[in-house]
Amino acid sequence: MDNLTFASDAPGERLFMLGNEAIARGAIEAGVQLAAAYPGTPSTEVTETLAEVAKELDIYVEWSVNEKVAFEMALAASISGLRALASMKHVGVNVAHDPLMTASYIGAKGGLVLLSAEDPYSWSSQNEQDNRYIAEQAHIPVIEPSSIQEAKDMMADAFSLSEEFKHLFMLRTVTRINHGRSDVTLGEIQRERRKASFVKNRQWLNYTPAEARLNKPLMLERLEKIKEAVDTLPYNRLGLRDGARLGIIACGLSYSYTMEALDWLGVGYKISVLKIGTPYPLPEKLVRKLLNSVDEVLVVEELEPYVETHVKAIAGEDNIPVKIHGKDMVPRSGELSTRIVTEAIASLTDSGLPVDFKKIDELSRETAPLLPWRPPAMCSGCPHRASHYAIGVAARRVARDSGKDIEPVYPSDIGCYNLAYNPPLEAADTTICMGASFGIANGLSHIIDSPIVAHMGDSTFFHSGIPPMINAVYNKANITMVVMDNSATAMTGFQPHPGTGQTATGEETISLKIEDIARACGVGFVEVIDPFDLKNAIDTFERAIRFEGPSLVVSRRLCAMIEQRQKRARGEKTVPYRVDPEKCNDRCNACFELLGCPAIIKEGNKAVIDTSLCNGCGVCAQVCPYNAIVQEQA
Amino acid sequence: MIKEFNIVIAGVGGQGVILMSELLGNAAVRDGLNVRGSEALGMAVRGGSVSSTIRLGEAVLGPLAPTGKADVLVAMEPVEALRNISYLSKSSTVILNTEKVVPFTVSSTGSTYPELETIIENLNRASDDIIKLNAAEIAGEAGSAQSANVVMLGALFGQGQLPIKIETIKQQIEARFSERLTAVNIRAFDLGYEVCRKVLK
Repeated sequence: MDNLTFASDAPGERLFMLGNEAIARGAIEAGVQLAAAYPGTPSTEVTETLAEVAKELDIYVEWSVNEKVAFEMALAASISGLRALASMKHVGVNVAHDPLMTASYIGAKGGLVLLSAEDPYSWSSQNEQDNRYIAEQAHIPVIEPSSIQEAKDMMADAFSLSEEFKHLFMLRTVTRINHGRSDVTLGEIQRERRKASFVKNRQWLNYTPAEARLNKPLMLERLEKIKEAVDTLPYNRLGLRDGARLGIIACGLSYSYTMEALDWLGVGYKISVLKIGTPYPLPEKLVRKLLNSVDEVLVVEELEPYVETHVKAIAGEDNIPVKIHGKDMVPRSGELSTRIVTEAIASLTDSGLPVDFKKIDELSRETAPLLPWRPPAMCSGCPHRASHYAIGVAARRVARDSGKDIEPVYPSDIGCYNLAYNPPLEAADTTICMGASFGIANGLSHIIDSPIVAHMGDSTFFHSGIPPMINAVYNKANITMVVMDNSATAMTGFQPHPGTGQTATGEETISLKIEDIARACGVGFVEVIDPFDLKNAIDTFERAIRFEGPSLVVSRRLCAMIEQRQKRARGEKTVPYRVDPEKCNDRCNACFELLGCPAIIKEGNKAVIDTSLCNGCGVCAQVCPYNAIVQEQA
Repeated sequence: MIKEFNIVIAGVGGQGVILMSELLGNAAVRDGLNVRGSEALGMAVRGGSVSSTIRLGEAVLGPLAPTGKADVLVAMEPVEALRNISYLSKSSTVILNTEKVVPFTVSSTGSTYPELETIIENLNRASDDIIKLNAAEIAGEAGSAQSANVVMLGALFGQGQLPIKIETIKQQIEARFSERLTAVNIRAFDLGYEVCRKVLK
């Protein structure tokens, strides 16, 4: 069929899809009616995909201000009888953790699914977090796909399971599922739309101590029923081999790596395999069956030994004489791979390796020093670069003038501006989680003498910057807060937020001004600057840092990537800058060493601007002490 | 159906690596193949190294080509070929765009970029089968320097092992681009294909 898309009503057709498109398709097939999320890699495209067809399929889709609100949105829909999805990255679940803990007491009426998109190897995250533990703590059953096809199918099924057991479910995915691609066979789309109805039931929905005491045992009963059911769910499968000495328990995507490894080693015929699609609760009958049939078991799972610990508990409880391996054979850090699983199985079966991995590793090691460093960098023309530069000049000046031996401190946050971590800017000193730059700054202000200039982006400010800003006002923290406002959630792909005047589905809405919020919260010094006007930016930052008490500067300039897109759409040309080689001093290096713009390269000892990369921001021209950088004629 | 065919595409953010994977994957599905793939997104796209895997055949399950198991490494950039050397074995083919993209770190932090000969010598330690072409120049001949990725796609088909029909990939190119860009890209594809055939003769 031609012109097939992720929204086509074409059951049985095959389509090449991004994992997140497939996950969104699963929700569409299930007839989801509300989807809320906050952007975060690797989860973002699920909501973007749903937003594309929101109007056509009558789904309410929104970018919520943070994950807590997103989850509460979905919960509200579920208790009103609609199928609802909340999507977030693993660390977003921390933000939503508070309502999760009580949501499980409520359970679900309309199917309620929480997507936790996790990131082994921390490709785009501050940590590797295994939310199977959070799920267990919050009494939320977890479904985990071994492939993209299964991710789609499980997402669709999760809504029915949720309604069948009147409980919410978590779909746990990893980057290689979300950002993997695969052919996917489409299922039928549920087009029936329910009418939401909020029926007052305070015993069920209003948690004073009495309701907690009443509902927890009921919740535990629901969990017990789910536990009994998982052994027969198709996601959990036991393949016993006659006479097998070794059994493998493989959870989620690890099952794909395991089956490839068995094939590569040619030992599949003599190893029993239990595929785990519900790590919580585990299919205990199947686990027991496997444990009783072999001498040795290898548990293959990414990140923490979650399944391993539970399997060991079962073996211990039943006194089953079986040796259980797990994190002693496969790493707890980073992603797994077919190779890692192949090596683990080879060593347990005394098999020869199919490839000389050692030799390959040696070659990689030997050639690594040849590779130039290609870190992710702020784009040419990125306004954050100018902000960082101006903050640095101002803060160092204040530190120097203090006469004390102090150095400015720059707490940073989650977003593109954090790329200033790398040389030459080195202007991001701490990164913990969303909003922590202002929080860390609050703490430092009461204990050290350094100028403290914390920065975060506009989307991060709305997500979790406001409480620590109020805290600084209330508790008199002498800090400078900078909101680098590029009018987008840039790092995750330019999603709109409360400051952009647009909703997820493209509707016009109010555009909140960060400076208005700061003033309303009592910040005594609030100014807005254009970071490309370096002189004024440096001057403003200096006054902000010298201000006694909390100060806030909004450094506002549209994201360079969006600006380029808009220019192209308007048919406008970018007028690049160039270096006059006569004026460029070959002992200077200021433009490279101060800015690190990818468009400025060194040829011989002189600076040259790659005009195909230059976005014409002109910041380098303001930094050059020899006035050697000039704009080409338009 | 072929059992397993692994393609690794390496380059730098902005070179169109992901687009190549999408075109290949869509074409492969049209030709009835199982397809799996994976790519690095997020932090990795801002001027950093990008690599993407496309795996075809009845035995492929996981999203990543295993170590030492690439059938073809398509490198949009010489250093990025070397960065992905662990996918190669003696039976792998490397299709190498010889046009360098020198990272800004070479200017600002004293990182160095090796000579092309050094890169090739080292790649040769893993595989002798290296097809070299300057895709940027060829793309220029086709009408747009932006279509170097499609030149490399043409070369990948010219290499002759890929179990996808040329007609199918061309349909994907047509479906993807405007009429004007389709003409440029089909030219780019054909030139890449021809150059690769010539090198192989």
